[in-house]
This record gives sequence, structure tokens and C-alpha cells, in this order.
Amino acid sequence: MHDSLMQLMYGFGVALQPENFMWCVFGVLVGNLIGVLPGMGPLSTISMLLPLTYVIAPVPAILMLAGIFYGSQYGGAIGAILLNLPSHPPHAVTCLDGYPLTLQGKGGTALGITMMASFFAASVGIVVMIFLSPLLVQAANSFGPADTCAIMLLGLLAGATMARGSPLKGVAMTIFGLLCGAVGTDEMTSTARYTLGVTELRDGIELGGLTMGLFGIADFLVSVNRTTISPSRARVRMRDMRPSRAEMKQAFWPMLRGTGVGTLFGALPGTGPTITTFIAYALERKWSKTPERFGKGALEGVAAPEAASHSKTQVDFIPTMSLGIPGDAVMALILGALIIKGIQPGPQLISDHPDIFWGLIASFWIGNVLLVILNVPLIGVWVRLLQVPYRFLFPSALFFIAVGVYSTRNNLFDVVIVAAFGVIGAILLALEFPLSPIVLGFVLGPMLEPNFRRAMLLSRGELSVFVTRPVAAGFIAASALLVMVQVMAWWRGRGKVV
Amino acid sequence: MNKLTKDRLGGALLLATGAAAVLAGSGYGLGTLRQMGSGFYPVVLGVLLALIGVVLLATATRAPDAHLATAPAETAHLAGPVVQWRGWLCILGGALAFVVLGQHGGLVPASFVSVFVAALGDRNNSVRDAALLAALMTILGVVVFHYGLHLLLPLFQW
Repeated sequence: MHDSLMQLMYGFGVALQPENFMWCVFGVLVGNLIGVLPGMGPLSTISMLLPLTYVIAPVPAILMLAGIFYGSQYGGAIGAILLNLPSHPPHAVTCLDGYPLTLQGKGGTALGITMMASFFAASVGIVVMIFLSPLLVQAANSFGPADTCAIMLLGLLAGATMARGSPLKGVAMTIFGLLCGAVGTDEMTSTARYTLGVTELRDGIELGGLTMGLFGIADFLVSVNRTTISPSRARVRMRDMRPSRAEMKQAFWPMLRGTGVGTLFGALPGTGPTITTFIAYALERKWSKTPERFGKGALEGVAAPEAASHSKTQVDFIPTMSLGIPGDAVMALILGALIIKGIQPGPQLISDHPDIFWGLIASFWIGNVLLVILNVPLIGVWVRLLQVPYRFLFPSALFFIAVGVYSTRNNLFDVVIVAAFGVIGAILLALEFPLSPIVLGFVLGPMLEPNFRRAMLLSRGELSVFVTRPVAAGFIAASALLVMVQVMAWWRGRGKVV
Repeated sequence: MNKLTKDRLGGALLLATGAAAVLAGSGYGLGTLRQMGSGFYPVVLGVLLALIGVVLLATATRAPDAHLATAPAETAHLAGPVVQWRGWLCILGGALAFVVLGQHGGLVPASFVSVFVAALGDRNNSVRDAALLAALMTILGVVVFHYGLHLLLPLFQW
């Protein structure tokens, strides 16, 4: 307890260093902005800013990327409440009651409540992270390669099935991502795999190239000449945002319950942010004595899902930072950035790089405070920026992507890779495949394969090692359970809507 | 495109990709479970991918997914056919123009042409709009990337 407090103080020291602080501010601002913009998620923004992390030190790079992630959550809520834009799936449910509130002229109150709930939930999530991470690290120190493989398997399956759409398609995309990760020279035998005779591919596919293609170019291809978003003229004044005492009281318990849902589901593998917010909303409606108010502007319907989304966001960092196993695509990207910076993720990360771990935790608080303060004057600016037409937005973004991906390796071939993954992504989107599991597979693949090979070498080729070691067996069982649950849900849900 | 066609096409695509991965992967040496060759892991992945493709083909139905029904689709705000030929051609053309002109022209022509061509992909952009946007982005790019971040690509080169 005392130890954690000391470490936390140290973390604040790291996060408040001018350079680190500056990048954290930059990250939350950019995240906030893109959270409001339709069609731009944290994934596409983090991929576009990935090249920038190559030129700055590891700590500020991670603080910035994390800032984009939770900054976009606040932005997503603004878009949902003021503009009825469900462009960010986890916040889609916030539209249901948030937008009616805006129509009733209480958009400011809804935003104020959202910010309060978000900040509270994020704080709870951070505290959970502080206390849970060291415990996980302790356990992880005794893991062998087989155990690591089993954990990765669960992580991959969870990431695949939590994405929107058919879980089967999600698993397929995870495997596709693993295959993309296998492109390049096999380190154990120096065999070039799937390089199609292209020299540049011997070093593998560039992470930035893959993600900017999938989440940048593919999105332009799908959206060009098809977007029908009309700008809104919603206006919010600062004094509108302070909720009244009665409104605070009304939102208090939903906020607590939402935080609980988010923390619990954040720790459970296999539940994505979208499912989490929908569950928080459904729970609130069931709990309410006046469920008929929901959908017509109930504050509870805004506070609970937003709290859930924010606590989950923070708890999501736990397996990423303490085990080196990311739970979703955004976490995979942040982990990928760490690897590019030469930092080996895994249980040793907290002790080897305490500046990264504790600095990150402290920056969460700093970033969240900043967001609450900045959101008030900035909302108006963001809303105005929304009026930049898409026809100017995408050519400019394309240019930044091209320059950005070139700059990572000073290689124009990587721009070809971006275009190729853009086409692949657009086709997959059209066929309703989720794209984010690809990133998860791509980042985890190069860690999964050597661990699997080592496990097999150690066990002399006996696959039974996965059921005889207790940790491995536990995670394999959990993976099997996850698959069974999905299959059963599919079997029961055939033809009818759940 | 209805759900049935989408799933059938998707399944076929997975099957083909998996088969290709197995075919190419088996050439890298499979080895044994104890002493795996370079081809072992990718071939296993290829087999799994092809299997999922078969399952998807076999279970393709017209009915919407339960999962899709609860969450609004990512593309809900979009209308019209997916492949907008003009848009696709211009966006991909813009990206490739950056590659070719970056090699044989330098940062300035590459920036201008790539933004110009990409902007023409939107039906509402006139040639004048596209040229203005391209000029603006070129100036911004030179200032930020060349003078600010010292991008290695020279302004002009042949």
C-alpha cells in the first residue's frame, strides 16, 4: 500500500516533466478532437501518429498514445450527445438518451454529467490498475512458454469475439492478422516467408503501414461519395454544463453501477467496450422505477454507459502493461509502439521501466483532469471543426498518411503497403468482417510463434503440456469456455434477434 | 449485396487465402512438432483459416446476425454501392502517385499530385477546389515535414 503510494508519487514526477506533460496534453487534445469527428476512431489516429513516436522518447510516446485513447472517449460522448453521431460504437448507446436531452435544451447538463461520471469511473479504474497489476506480475513470473501461449490464445480469442459482428469472422480476421505477422524472415531459420520476392518485405510488414491502410485508406474508400452526415448547429454555453443538485443525485447511483459494470467487464476477457456500455444501459433501465423515461432523455441513460466505458478503458491497460498481452486492437497498437521503441513487454516491464508504468498511471489522472477542464471551452471549437467537409478531409489525411508511413523507414515501398491494406480493408469491411482483430493478431503473432516453438521444444513435442501445467490448462479451459459460449449463443440466436 | 452473398464471398475469400498460405507455407519446411520448421506455424494458420472459410460457406444465411442487430453497423451513415469507382481510382491513384513522384520528382510534386488526384475522387470537388487544397497541403507539408521534422525526402529530385 505504502509502496504503491510512493511509486505513484514517482509516477507523477515523471508525468509532470515538461516534455512528458506536453505530449500528454497533445495526445488528449488530438484524441478529444478525433473522438468528435465521425469516421475517425482512436485506431486510425494512433496509427497516423505512430511515426511521430519514432522521434520522441519512449515515455512521452506512450503517454501521448494513451492520451489519444482516453481523450477520444470524451470526444465520442460529445459527438453522441450533441450531434446524435453513433460513429464510435461504444458511445452509440449514449445517443439514445443524450440526443433527446440536447433537443430539450439540456445538452449541457448531459455533457456535465458525462464528464463527472467519466472522471469518477476513470479514477476507480486507475486505482484498480494500481493494485491489480503488481499481483498479476507476481503470478506471471512463474509462467513458462506454454503458459504464455495459452494466455495469448485466450487474449486472441477474446479480442476476436468481442469485435462487432460475427465471432467466427472475428476469429478468421485474427488468424489473418497472425499470418500477416508471419510475413518476413523467420528468425530461427532465416527463411524468408511470404515475401513474394520483394526485398522490402523481408523485414516484415510495417505496423504503421498495416494499420493506416486498414483504418485510414480503407475508411476513405468505403466512405468516399457516400457520407451523409450533415453538420449540426448545436451550441453549448459553459454555465449550462453545471448540473443541478437534483440532477447530480439522479445520476449518482447510475454512475456507480456503470463504473462497476465497466471495471468488472474490463477485467473479463471477451467483452468489448460496446457490449459493456450496452449492458450498463440495459441494467440501468431494468433497475429504474420509471423505465419508460429511457430513450426520451433520461440522465441515468447517459451517466451509466459513459461511466462503464471509462472504467473499462482504464482496466484494459492492466493485462497490456503487466502481462504484455493486449486485450484489444488499441492496446495492441500501444504495445506495438513499445516494441518499436525497443522495450520488451511482459511481466518485467513494471520493474524494468517503472518510469513508463507509473508515469502512465499518473498521466491518466493528469489527462483526465485536463480533459474535464479543456472540454468546456473546446466543445464549441470541435463542433465547428465538424463542419469541415469530408471532401477536404480525406485527401489531406491521405497525404499525412503517405508522408507518415514513408518517414517511419524512409521507404516509399511502405506507401504501397498502405494502399494494398487499404484495398484489403475496404473489401473486408464490405463483406462485414471486423478489422480490429487483424491488428491484435499482427502484434501478438511474432510473440506467439517463438513461445509455441519453445514450449514444444521443452516438452519434446508433447502437446499435453498445455493441459498438464495448471496455468496453461486454466487458460485453455477459459478459451474453450469462451468458444462454447459463442457457439451456444449462435445456435440459440439463429434467425432471431437477441 | 445481401447477407447471403456477403458470407459466401467472405467464406470463399478465406478459403482461397488459407489455401494459398498452406501451399506457399509448406515449401518452407514443416519439421516435426518438437523441432518445427519455418513452415509449420503458417501452415497451421492457413489450415485454420481455410476451415473457417468452409464453415462460413456452409452456414451462410439470409438472416442478420444477432450481434449486428444490437449494435448499429459501422457503415450505417453511408449510402450507395460500396465500390465508388471514381473514388477508389483517385484515392489509390493518389497514394501511388506519391510513391512514383516521391522517387522521381521529390516531396513537392509528390505532395501536390497525390492530394490533387485524391481530392478529385469526391464528386463535389471541382478541379479548382482540388488544386487549391493540393497547393495548401503542399505548402503545409513542406513547412512541417521538410523544415520542421527534417523529412529525408528532398523537395525536388530526379
